[in-house]
Amino acid sequence: MNSLSGWPGTEKLKREKVYILFLFLGLVLVAFVFITIGNLYYKQAEDFSGLIDAATDLVVLKAIAISITMALASTLIAFLFGVPLAYFLARKEFMGKSVIEGIVDIPLMIPHVVAGIALYGVFMRYGLIGAPLRKLGIVITDAYPGIVVAMLFMSLPYLVDTAREGFKEVDPRLENVARSLGASHWRTFREITFPLAFPSILSGAILSWGRAISEFSAVLIIAYHPISAPILIYEKFTSFGLRASRPISVLLISICLVIFIMLRWLQRRRG
Amino acid sequence: MIEVRALYKDWKEFALKDINLEIKKGEYFVILGPTGAGKTLLLETIAGFYIPDSGEVRIDGRDVTIIPPERRRIGFIYQDYSLFPHLNVEQNIEFGLKSRKKSASQDTNRKRVKEIMDWLSISHLAHRYPATLSGGEQQKVAIGRAIAIEPSILLLDEPLSALDRRTQDHLREELKRVKEEFGITMVHVTHDQTEALVLADRIAVMMQGRIMQVGTPQEIFNKPLNEELADFVGIENVLRGVVRINENGIAEIEVDMGVTIFAVSEYRDGAVKVFIRPEDIILSKSIGDSSARNVMNVRIKELHDMGPLTRVKLDGERSKHSKRIELVALITKQSREELGLKEGDAVYATFKATSVHVVRG
Amino acid sequence: MNAKHIVVLTLIAAVVLSAACISQDQGKSKLKVIYAGSLILPFGELEQAFESEHPDVDVLVEGHGSIQAIRHITDVHEEYDVIAVADDSLVPAMMYPEYADWCVRFATNQMVIMYTNRSNYAAEINDSNWYEILARPDVMFGFSNPMFDACGYRTLMVIPLAESYYGNQTIFDVLIARNFDPPLPLIKDNGTYTVVVPEVFEPQGDKIAVRGGSVQLIALLDYGGIDYAFGYKSVAQQHGLRYLELPAEIDLSSPEYCETYDKAKVTLGFQRFTSVGVERIGRPIFYGITVPKNAPDPELGLEFVNFVLSEEGQRILQDNNQPTIPPEVDNLDKIPVELRPVVIKEIKE
Repeated sequence: MNSLSGWPGTEKLKREKVYILFLFLGLVLVAFVFITIGNLYYKQAEDFSGLIDAATDLVVLKAIAISITMALASTLIAFLFGVPLAYFLARKEFMGKSVIEGIVDIPLMIPHVVAGIALYGVFMRYGLIGAPLRKLGIVITDAYPGIVVAMLFMSLPYLVDTAREGFKEVDPRLENVARSLGASHWRTFREITFPLAFPSILSGAILSWGRAISEFSAVLIIAYHPISAPILIYEKFTSFGLRASRPISVLLISICLVIFIMLRWLQRRRG
Repeated sequence: MIEVRALYKDWKEFALKDINLEIKKGEYFVILGPTGAGKTLLLETIAGFYIPDSGEVRIDGRDVTIIPPERRRIGFIYQDYSLFPHLNVEQNIEFGLKSRKKSASQDTNRKRVKEIMDWLSISHLAHRYPATLSGGEQQKVAIGRAIAIEPSILLLDEPLSALDRRTQDHLREELKRVKEEFGITMVHVTHDQTEALVLADRIAVMMQGRIMQVGTPQEIFNKPLNEELADFVGIENVLRGVVRINENGIAEIEVDMGVTIFAVSEYRDGAVKVFIRPEDIILSKSIGDSSARNVMNVRIKELHDMGPLTRVKLDGERSKHSKRIELVALITKQSREELGLKEGDAVYATFKATSVHVVRG
Repeated sequence: MNAKHIVVLTLIAAVVLSAACISQDQGKSKLKVIYAGSLILPFGELEQAFESEHPDVDVLVEGHGSIQAIRHITDVHEEYDVIAVADDSLVPAMMYPEYADWCVRFATNQMVIMYTNRSNYAAEINDSNWYEILARPDVMFGFSNPMFDACGYRTLMVIPLAESYYGNQTIFDVLIARNFDPPLPLIKDNGTYTVVVPEVFEPQGDKIAVRGGSVQLIALLDYGGIDYAFGYKSVAQQHGLRYLELPAEIDLSSPEYCETYDKAKVTLGFQRFTSVGVERIGRPIFYGITVPKNAPDPELGLEFVNFVLSEEGQRILQDNNQPTIPPEVDNLDKIPVELRPVVIKEIKE
C-alpha cells in the first residue's frame, strides 16, 4: 500500500470505487435506523425530566427487568434445545429435512398475533399442554412462563438458523480427526465442534434475545400480565400518550443497546 | 494387519465397489488413483468415519466394521492437515493423549508432547496457532498429533499434495522415518505416481471405486494388467499384435505387416497387447552392438522439451497394408544434444525384450 | 420442465398476482378511517358499500381501542379523514379544540356478559345469578383494560351499579377487588361509587384476565381459556357468541337511566400524564364520529360521515347488530353545512 501514497487521491479512490459505492448504499440502511431512533432520543431530550421519572419509576424498572430476564430465560431454553437441533440439521441428511427446517422457520413468517392466539390455545387451562401442566400446579397464561413461551416461539428460529450455519462451517473432517485421536463423539462436540461454532451460536443467541425482548403481540395475547416492557409501553401510550410511553421506550432501547454492544464486544474479543 | 473384504459404500457422488485388500503389518501401502476414484472414502471407511453398506474391515484379525473411530487406534492425516484452529501446536498434539483411558498425568502428557515436538523439530512452534504456520509445519504438527497416540496404523489422505516440491521431499523423508521409527502400518492415498513409487512397499491402483491392481511398484509401473492401467501409469506405447511363435519364453509378436517385436512372455499364440514404457526406448543414429532384441527404423515426428527430459514422438516405417506404428520415447536433454536430434531425422529405436510387457487382448 | 422450473414459475406467478392486486387500488383517492375496535364488522361493510357508490375512492379502515384511535391523531400526528369512537365524550375531552370541534352521536350499545356453550355453568347463568356464578372458584372471566378501552371502564361501572341494583354490597369485592393485588379500591359515598384504578393494574391469581381490547378477549373465550367476558352486545352478536343481557338499570344502554348510571365513576388513581382527564362518569353508551381538523381530505371525510348517518348507512349498521340512534351533534354551530340535513338535533345535557 505504501507505493500508493504517491498516487493522486483520485487514483486511490478509483481503485476503491466498488467499496465506496457499497458504503453509500449501506449507509442508507444505517441512516434509516439511526434517524428513526435518533429522532426518538431527540424528542425525549426535550423532556429530560420525563426520562428521569421513568428511570426511577419502579413500575417501569420492573417491566424492563421482566423483559430482560424473561428474554434471557427464553434464550437459554432456545439454546438448550436449539443447539442440539442445529447440530443435527447441520450434519445429517434425511427425508423431510427441509420440512423440519421449514417448521423451525414458521415463527418468522407467522403474524405475531396469530402466533399469540395459537400459543394461547395450547397453553391455556384446557389446552393441549396447558391442561396437564395445570394439574401439576403450573399456570402459563398471564404468568411469567407465558411471557417466556411467547418469546421463545418468536425468537427460536434466529438461534437455530444461525447456530446451524455455524456448525456447517465447522469442517466435519476436524471431528473425524478428533475421533481418530480417541475422543468420544461427545468430547469431540464439546472440545472441537462447539468451541468452533460458538461465535455463530453466540450471535444467534444475541439475535434471539433481542427478538425476545421486542416481542409484543404474542405476549399481549398469552400473558398481558405480569406487565413486560413492550406491554407497558403500549399501555402507557394508549392511556396517556407518547409523553408517557416514550421515556420507557428510550430507557428500554438504551439498556438493550448497552447490553448488545457489550456482548458484541465480547464476541469480537473471542474471535 | 488390515483386511478389507467385499466392501461396498455409496456416499454422495462417491462409491466403493467390492473392495478387497490385505495390508501387512508395518507395510507402507499406497493407494494410487485419479481424483474422484473414491480413495478418500475408502480411507475414511477404514478409519471408521463411515459404516460400509456391506462388507467388513478387520484390524489384526478383529472385526471393526461398526466399531466407532475413537476405539480403533488409527491415526488419520488429511491433505489440509485439519489442525484444530482454536488450539495451539502443543494442545493439538496433546489432544489425543487426553483421550486415553488410563489417563496419564498432565506432566507425562506434556513430556510426551515435548518428545514428539523435538523428534519432529517443531518445538519452537509449541505456542503458535495453526493459522500462523506454513503448510509443511502444519503437516508436521498433524503427524505429531497422530503419532502421539501411538497408533498401530496411520492413514494419510494426500498428505503431500498441498505442499511445494521442496517441502514434499522433506516430508516424504519424514514419513519414511515415522514408519521406520515406530513400525506403524502406513496407508497413504495419493494421485501422484512419483510419490507412490518413492514411498510404497506395495501399491493398489484404484479407479471408479474399484481396486484394479495390487502389487509392488515394479509390478504396477511395468506390468499393468490392462490398457487402462497402462495408460494411468504413463505407458504411452500400446501396440496390438498376434503371437506367432514362442521360443524359450520369448514370444515373437507381429504388430504390423513385417514388424515383429520380441518380448519375454508365456503367451504362445493369439491376440495380445504390447506395453513399452517410453523411457525404455533407446534412440541411436546407428546400430551398434547391443543386447536389445528389438530394433526399429523410425523417423522423428516431434520433439517436446520437458525440462531435463525430452519427449520424442516417432513414426514407424511406412507400410502399404496397415497404419503406421507410432512410438513415444523419453530421453534426456543431454542425449538429445549429443545425438543432435531434430524433427525429420531417421533413427533407430531399440528396446529390450524384458522391457516389453504383454497382456491378452 | 423440472421441479426447479415449477417452483420458479410459481414464485413469479405469486409476485405478478400480488402486484396486480395491489395496483388495482392505485390512482384512487384515499379515505382514511380510524375507529373503535367494536365497529370492525359494521365499518367493514360500510367501507364496501361506500366504495361501490364511489368507485374512485379507496377506503382505508383501521380499528383500535377508542382512546388509542384518538392517540394516533393527537400524539402520533397521523392524519385521518374520519374517526369514530365508542365513547363520544372522549372526543371533546381529548381532541377539542385543536383536533376537532364537533362530534356526532350516531350509535349506541349495551354491556352484556359474553360466553360460549363450553363456559362453566353456561346453562345456569341468568340476569339474577350472574354475579354469583362469576364468583365461583372454577369460573374465569375477563374484561378489557379500563385505562384505555371504553369497554373496560364501563365494566368497572356495571359491577358497582349491580351492587346497588341487587342490593348486595359484596359484588365488587368478590368479583373485582380481591382479585387484584393490592385490592382495587371502591369508594362508596352517599350512593355514588368510585372505582380507583391504580397505576399498577395487575390481577392476582388467574381468575381475571385483562386484555387490551374486548376483541382480544374473544380469542380467549373461543378457546375456553376464560368462561365469561364483559363486552358489547353488538360484538357478541357479530361474533356469534352467546350473551347474557343485564338489567337496563346497569347495562349503560338506556338514556332513561342517565341518573342511575352517573352514580358510577372510574378514576385513574395517579396524576401523571393526565391529558385524558382522570375521571369517567357512568352514562349511556354513545358512539361518536367526527372529521379531524387535520384530515387530508375533509370533503371526502364529510361525505363518508354523511353516508354513515344516512338511511342506508344506519341500515347497514343495524344489519350488523350495531344499534343506531337518530344523529345528534354537540355543537350545532360548528358542524359543517354538508351535515346539516342529517344532523338536526343538538345534544342537551
